[in-house]
Amino acid sequence: MGAKLHVKDLHKSFGDLQVLRDMNFAVEEHEFVAIVGPSGCGKTTLLRTIAGIETPDSGAVIIDGKPIKGPGADRGFVFQQDSLLPWRTIWKNLVFGLEVNGRLNEASLAEAKKLLQLVGLSGFEHFYPNQISGGMRQRVNLARALALNPEVLIMDEPFSALDAQTREMMQLELLRIWQQGRKTVLFITHQIDEAVFLADRIVVLGRRPGWVKELIAIDLPRPRDLAVKRTAAFGAYVDQVWNLIENDVRASIAEDAQIPAA
Amino acid sequence: MAKSEQATKTGAGQGANPAPAAGKRKPRKSSALYWTSAASVVGGLLLWEFAGRFIVQKALFLTTPTQIVDATIKLIAAGELQRHIVASGTEFIIGLVLAIILGIAIGFAMASDKYAKRALGPWVAAFYATPTVAISPLIILWAGIGIWSKVIVVVINAVFPMIINTEAGLRSTDKQLVEAARCFGCNRLQIFWKVSLPSAVPFLFAGMKLAIGRALVAVVVAELFGSRAGLGFLLLQASDAFNMPLLFVSVVILAVSGMVLTWLVGVVERLLMPWRYTSEQE
Repeated sequence: MGAKLHVKDLHKSFGDLQVLRDMNFAVEEHEFVAIVGPSGCGKTTLLRTIAGIETPDSGAVIIDGKPIKGPGADRGFVFQQDSLLPWRTIWKNLVFGLEVNGRLNEASLAEAKKLLQLVGLSGFEHFYPNQISGGMRQRVNLARALALNPEVLIMDEPFSALDAQTREMMQLELLRIWQQGRKTVLFITHQIDEAVFLADRIVVLGRRPGWVKELIAIDLPRPRDLAVKRTAAFGAYVDQVWNLIENDVRASIAEDAQIPAA
Repeated sequence: MAKSEQATKTGAGQGANPAPAAGKRKPRKSSALYWTSAASVVGGLLLWEFAGRFIVQKALFLTTPTQIVDATIKLIAAGELQRHIVASGTEFIIGLVLAIILGIAIGFAMASDKYAKRALGPWVAAFYATPTVAISPLIILWAGIGIWSKVIVVVINAVFPMIINTEAGLRSTDKQLVEAARCFGCNRLQIFWKVSLPSAVPFLFAGMKLAIGRALVAVVVAELFGSRAGLGFLLLQASDAFNMPLLFVSVVILAVSGMVLTWLVGVVERLLMPWRYTSEQE
């Protein structure tokens, strides 16, 4: 039971709708784990449960052997594009987590300064989020989460709102930053190639209710660069994941279009 | 390593990332546009003066700007104008401040408690749409012709836009931001002070602008119904005496106050919400 983050026997229903069924997986220390699943796989509920703002019907989220009780600074979150506070400057956004957790001190601020440099935004301290590009905003988001020096970094489709080229650049950036501290990362995405490119392991979820369909170890050498995406091994992993979720994706599209699934 | 270094550079330079200095550029106002307003005002005044002197020629029907200036100077010399302005100003400021505080408090209650919302909702909706200046005589009957009756009239006119905007502002807080704040460990109080309230500020200003307009009208109308001093009182005196220049003194001061107040709110708005007035990049 040496896992950094252990999601154990999670069950959750909203009324008659079962959302998570016996969800089980673990993330080892320094490991980068990606979660991939079709819509309806309960990823929002899973995320809220890990965040501690949703209580599971049964099961637990365990960090370093201790079940979590509510939100805490041991988990750092990176959300989709617009979770920066628009009325705060980049710097004030960056230290938001420190501020609300009562951890504003000389050491943590110096650390935050270094993070700003790490994500390549030194000089942008006094800018407001609406003055910088989407890619830059996501760097701030990442730095804001890292500023708390969390045990686990949880990223919720952080690059989904970015255009394709910026997204690739941000994936590289993320890997570069991750290589330096090797945080334990749980990365949620819809993008299969993104998951394969970034992760050590992929958790593939099934839908309605959400459950763990398969765990796939990605055995690609690190550090990785974009050329990896053109290798046969990479393509094989993408195919493998896609085959696992293809039927689920079809079902969810059919459902969205309100055509009865075959 | 060399490769990832390069990636960093490309990453940092992607898109239209501005150099840090570029973000601080000020929006430049074109001078031609700037002078258009001034020319419009001066032209309008000249036309008015001309019409009053050469076309209508009867001060009762159309007084001229110069006559108004004349009357203003005389009134100031007599120490009268100051007295009226102080009276109306006092009523206006006390009433407005009370309306803002009350409005934010009630709006907050309605946004955060569904019973408060249900209990107060119908009253707010009804009073917001009613021209409550109409009940000024009643208020004066209750509270006398001193300043407090006017303060009450101002409050019951100005408070409703404040309530409605505060509530709407607090309710419209981006759920994603609240969720993110909760994940960072914010408690309810922190969410209110650090997320909901700042995000409601633009709404508060919108409410304040409406409240100021209503408060100005309320002061004057309430004074018309019964008072011993104030710009509304001056207005009434002048119209009883068919002294049109004097009547216009009051009107002009009200108009100018309205403009100055709106401008002032704009200034405060810029000070408090710089993120709304910074130029968008990309």
